[in-house]
Amino acid sequence: MALSAATKAATDALSINRAPTSVNPQEVHRWLQSFNWDFAQNRTKYPTKYHMANDTKEQFKLIAKEYARMESVKDERQFGTLLDGLTRLGAGNRMHPRWGETMKVASNFLEVGEYNAIAASAMLWDSATAAEQKNGYLAQVLDEIRHTHQCGFVNYYYAKHYHDPAGHNDARRTRAIGPLWKGMKRVFADGFISGDAVECSINLQLVGEACFTNPLIVAITEWASANGDEITPTVFLSIETDELRHMANGYQTVVSIANDPAAQKYLNTDLNNAFWTQQKYFTPVLGMLFEYGSKYKVEPWVKTWNRWVYEDWGGIWIGRLAKYGVQSPPSLRDAKKDAYWAHHDLFLLAYALWPTGFFRLSLPDEEDMEWFEANYPGWDAHYGKILREWKALGCEDPKSGFLPIQWLAENGHQVYVDRVSQVPFCPSLAKSSVTTRIHEYNGQKHSFSDEWGERMWLTEPERYECQSIFEQYGGRELSDVIVEGHGLRSDEETLIAQPHVRADKLWTIDDIKRANCVFADPLSAL
Amino acid sequence: MPNYKIHQNPVRNEWLEKIAALENVKDATAFLQDFRMKYTTPLRTSYELDVDYLFIEAKAEERLSLLKVAAFSNEDLLSMATTGETAADVAQAWMPKLESEKCKFTGERIHMEFRQLYKPPVLPVNVFLKIDSYLGSRLMELRNSNYYDCSLDELREQRGVKVLMLGDAA
Ligand SMILES: [Fe+2]
Ligand SMILES: [Fe+2]
Repeated sequence: MALSAATKAATDALSINRAPTSVNPQEVHRWLQSFNWDFAQNRTKYPTKYHMANDTKEQFKLIAKEYARMESVKDERQFGTLLDGLTRLGAGNRMHPRWGETMKVASNFLEVGEYNAIAASAMLWDSATAAEQKNGYLAQVLDEIRHTHQCGFVNYYYAKHYHDPAGHNDARRTRAIGPLWKGMKRVFADGFISGDAVECSINLQLVGEACFTNPLIVAITEWASANGDEITPTVFLSIETDELRHMANGYQTVVSIANDPAAQKYLNTDLNNAFWTQQKYFTPVLGMLFEYGSKYKVEPWVKTWNRWVYEDWGGIWIGRLAKYGVQSPPSLRDAKKDAYWAHHDLFLLAYALWPTGFFRLSLPDEEDMEWFEANYPGWDAHYGKILREWKALGCEDPKSGFLPIQWLAENGHQVYVDRVSQVPFCPSLAKSSVTTRIHEYNGQKHSFSDEWGERMWLTEPERYECQSIFEQYGGRELSDVIVEGHGLRSDEETLIAQPHVRADKLWTIDDIKRANCVFADPLSAL
Repeated sequence: MPNYKIHQNPVRNEWLEKIAALENVKDATAFLQDFRMKYTTPLRTSYELDVDYLFIEAKAEERLSLLKVAAFSNEDLLSMATTGETAADVAQAWMPKLESEKCKFTGERIHMEFRQLYKPPVLPVNVFLKIDSYLGSRLMELRNSNYYDCSLDELREQRGVKVLMLGDAA
């Protein structure tokens, strides 16, 4: 293979000075000008319905000159602040404990998203044909590596400084026990790296980054600050400064296929499915983490959602792409309905399954409950009533042996898992627009909770084969599952997960065992 | 329901023994192909191993890889399937199958069967990906054309599912 001019320039420079101590700016300039990918013919290993055009423009040559310098300044500022200023202030232990628990989930799960974004933007590098477009994706690969480290560092920092490190210190193995994990893998892993390469770009850049990083990475910093957390804004805002270029990459993906007849046929379908995929998980999970995982509230999630997702993204951002034939996804309307109740529905189930977590969850207190009712009229009569009953039955107290997941079963509230999104749902308790659909196909039963997901499965069933936690654990006793999944603290007795954020009355594995809670798969009973 | 641990369980152990007993490329290939037809993809004939099949499949692939590396020349590793066919012949046989196919259900059957039979290490990765991404692209074109034309009812019927429950869903 012929050496590219860039590689030759680098080789020549090295042969003159075997161990360069500095680089001549002229050399850097020359190197960047000749930066190119010398493929006689692009040969990608990833499938796609689209043809990316050859002449797409991108600004990488300009930013590349500043790139390393810019990123190193950002890193120095961030790590300097964390390791010096904030450590001296004891900032790692000053946030409300509820929020300290939220960050066990938020930072660790985002780390997975960043990790898969490395692979996704590398895949797009492989799929694109225009050299400049490849460069844009390549810069993103570098960014996403940085972000993966940053997210990992947040959990590491908390593990050292926060008063309850369990969960921050070993989330990578304990996160897989509970039901939140599989849904996160669907949006942050499969959604970014499986299927059509362009569909992946839509999932990652057009929806994940252009739509959900605003609530996920920006709004979260407001909630963090309000709850006394200086760590998260320091890191997450540094991450967010890179996202603009990633959104621009998504824009360029669309531009590169705009003249391809395939775009007319497939693009809006892929966008609708990608939007539904991402929102089905993020709408309830982010709302739950913010509102139930905090003491001091910033604003109701439904308001944030309407501003960032509905108006800003669905209206303005997608509007800018209208000239390329992109339409606002029809599933946006259904998502808007879910943004009101879905996170409350999810909290009920997450709290009911608290022993499977790698973090502590807590019930809203009376002040929180007033806030919920004031912002979501009707909340108290439904969710408030159930949560008060659980509290009265002793759900926080290990002596009671009361596990709300058993209460659900005893009261006939069946919990299913949506095969496509892996988000659990309880038809008899849901106030969001859940619609139960259960099918048998080739000897296997599948449950779904909405029409968009059902259609995705009916069209491409091999993409959605993940077992639910009930299929995985069916017949097993809860404490056995927790022990196998490493859900215990270093004393090998106390659970990492707790149903409150107090320092006393901690549940041990024996408390769980006494409750004799056995997993049953609701589908096998049908 | 599999009332046993995820990572170490009697079912996995039993299959590990069968896999360890595979002594040559021919037997290991036949074993792996047969396993994939029975226990993988939505076309599988049994869901009995639903929570273990990926582990078992990975271990069978590992075994075949080792046997193959010991038996094949460097050149053959890049150009031969473990079935004895040349990789080029496999490509020639399979790529045209979806070229003019109009039915998405026939198309998906072809693509899944290709994966059941030829996923690496049966085919070398370089050739497998070439065929797989071609078949995958064609299948996606079939599936994604006129995506919303059929009602869910019609789609359920075409897919052949038995509807067990439609709560408040229309
Ligand atoms: Fe990122
Ligand atoms: Fe990004």
